[in-house]
Amino acid sequence: MVIVAIDTSCDETSVAVTKGRRVLATSIYSQVLIHKKWGGVVPSLAKRAHEERIDLVFEDAMTKYKRAIKSDKKFPVDYIAVTQGPGLAVALEVGIKKAKELSRMYGRKIIAVNHLEGHIYSPFVQNREGNPTRDFTFPCMALVISGGHTQIIGMPGHVTYNIIGETIDDAAGEALDKAAKMLGLGYPGGPIIERLAHEVGNVDPYRFPRPMVKNPDLNLSFSGLKTSLYYFLRNLAEEEKTRRIREIVSSFQEAVFDSILIKTEKAMRQTGIRHIIAGGGVTANMRLRKKLRKLAKKNSATVLFPPYPYLTGDNAAMIGVAAYYKVKKNIFVKNTDSLDRIPRFSL
Amino acid sequence: MVELTVQMKIKKDSNTAWSDALHIISKGGLVIAPTDTVYGALVDATNNRAVQRLINLKDRQPGKAISIFVSNLSMMRQYVYVLKKNERLLSNLLPGPFTTILKSRQKVVSLLESERKTLGVRIPAYKAICGLVEKYGKPITATSANLSGHRSHYSVKSILQQLSRTKKELIDFIIDGGTLPKNKPSTIVDMTESSLKILRQGDALLSTASYVISKSPSQTKQIAQDTISRHIHLAEKKPLVFILQGEMGTGKTIFVKGAASFLGVDDIISPTFVVSYEYPVNNKAAKNLVHADLFYIDEKQEFQYLGFEKQLIPQTILCIEWGEKTGDIYNTLKEKSTIVHIEMTHISEFERGIRIW
Repeated sequence: MVIVAIDTSCDETSVAVTKGRRVLATSIYSQVLIHKKWGGVVPSLAKRAHEERIDLVFEDAMTKYKRAIKSDKKFPVDYIAVTQGPGLAVALEVGIKKAKELSRMYGRKIIAVNHLEGHIYSPFVQNREGNPTRDFTFPCMALVISGGHTQIIGMPGHVTYNIIGETIDDAAGEALDKAAKMLGLGYPGGPIIERLAHEVGNVDPYRFPRPMVKNPDLNLSFSGLKTSLYYFLRNLAEEEKTRRIREIVSSFQEAVFDSILIKTEKAMRQTGIRHIIAGGGVTANMRLRKKLRKLAKKNSATVLFPPYPYLTGDNAAMIGVAAYYKVKKNIFVKNTDSLDRIPRFSL
Repeated sequence: MVELTVQMKIKKDSNTAWSDALHIISKGGLVIAPTDTVYGALVDATNNRAVQRLINLKDRQPGKAISIFVSNLSMMRQYVYVLKKNERLLSNLLPGPFTTILKSRQKVVSLLESERKTLGVRIPAYKAICGLVEKYGKPITATSANLSGHRSHYSVKSILQQLSRTKKELIDFIIDGGTLPKNKPSTIVDMTESSLKILRQGDALLSTASYVISKSPSQTKQIAQDTISRHIHLAEKKPLVFILQGEMGTGKTIFVKGAASFLGVDDIISPTFVVSYEYPVNNKAAKNLVHADLFYIDEKQEFQYLGFEKQLIPQTILCIEWGEKTGDIYNTLKEKSTIVHIEMTHISEFERGIRIW
């Protein structure tokens, strides 16, 4: 079963061809460089860039795929998968339009995928050779930690999701981006903070609060942490701000990650689930991975991350793999014409 | 059981009852009457003996201040010093369920003032009280008709149940306005220091004011709910746009969460990363909520691409964070929608000023 998958949820234009869990070809055009200048995703630029790139990226992925299977057929693909949301409305539209166009042209069914499903399945995406061979163990608990989302999801089986905890305001990646912006560190803030924190050995001298830890539920909140950083910086001498910037961002990063860890541990205790899978942009952070691995070990649990760096970001490969499991459950878009983006799509 | 002697002094709320009250107060008497918040105990604020009786009724500790009712701002200026910087705020708050603490001109009974010689002043949004004070020409005490430290009263029956026989003797007249709506006592704003302080948070945060201070995220949500409930009917004819301004961490997303919960939407998260989120709404006046955050937007021409214009249709509510960045599109918004500005400022780590206009 071969699927061509399209993801244009935010600032990456991405197309992949997958077969089961294996990625046969992929092409990603990243807009990060465009947005870096602006310090964030800019809708008009995103839309324009997606519109300009979608055909090129699609052709690129298809050419790679056809070359790999030595096919000269026009469209040797069984299904079309596309991200329906959540994401930037004007960006999602570009991908959905392309999917509809292909569906009409070649008469293939469309699978609408939730971008978060993609992140959930990202630890199981394999390369062309079928590596890594790791397999699912249900029930498991998925952590989606990205710039737009922070959720703890229980999964009793394939394509079944119970959100058991989530941020009630800012996402973890957003908190890091905003902290970086407050300190004038540039965009995207997460990787810059990771590097600076690493340089001082991930110390935590400032002990920012761990929000919501006393709260018995599994929800997270980062806006209060952002406010405490704001006031901390307001009362700090400019000289110390400059001299101790590494210690400050390191402390902030520890506070963000600890809040996630505390709730993850609580979730493990409450559900008894001991298999964790983690995806989303922030899981590219090695400090977070290390902390989650340690937590898993302490609780005799397992934790899996996306096996290749490109899978932590937004990419169509994970959309294709998630779509594969939806096809196996016979979940298709019934009416192609009425398929529309859902910017605030929930699992 | 209500004693006969006391019942004799009760009259149902009516014009004659209020004229009787005026007469009794002018003779130094003590009157219990409904106010805009709870049942209040009214005496002439310039009559020493009357004030002493009031203090006896309430078991008020000496040195604890008691507020006064005045009928308007110019009367207010006769009894307290109003600084120029507070004028606009005062005209926003009053008349309304607010008690403003200001420096006293020491023209009322000194027992009503605090040790710092400050005085609490109220202009209630309540015709009967304002009329009474206006006719009388002198301030009247504005304090709840309950013992100090006890809960407020919303009915005459509950007042009388709490008071002992000797205490009841101190009351000369009661106006029975039935059971009052369960409003909290007024919000007390201290304006005597360089920054505003809320000494007691009342209920009707915004009923008439356009500047309030929130002391917690849940109060900010409450303020948002009040705000949207007062404006939502406008969405029926024209899109309703809330432009939220304020620095990072002032609680703009919290405000939107409050407004959204009024509309039955409980899963609001920050839209910063994707710029804008839409939510279907099931309300008589609104069918669609758009929550946008322009944190990452620096250029005016970017707005054309957000598709806001397409969403500017009746029964839509737009909450735009970082609204001051709307620049050119502001004119479009103004032309096609009803705009409500929400300006949020840091006062302290836990307090936020919220100005609405």
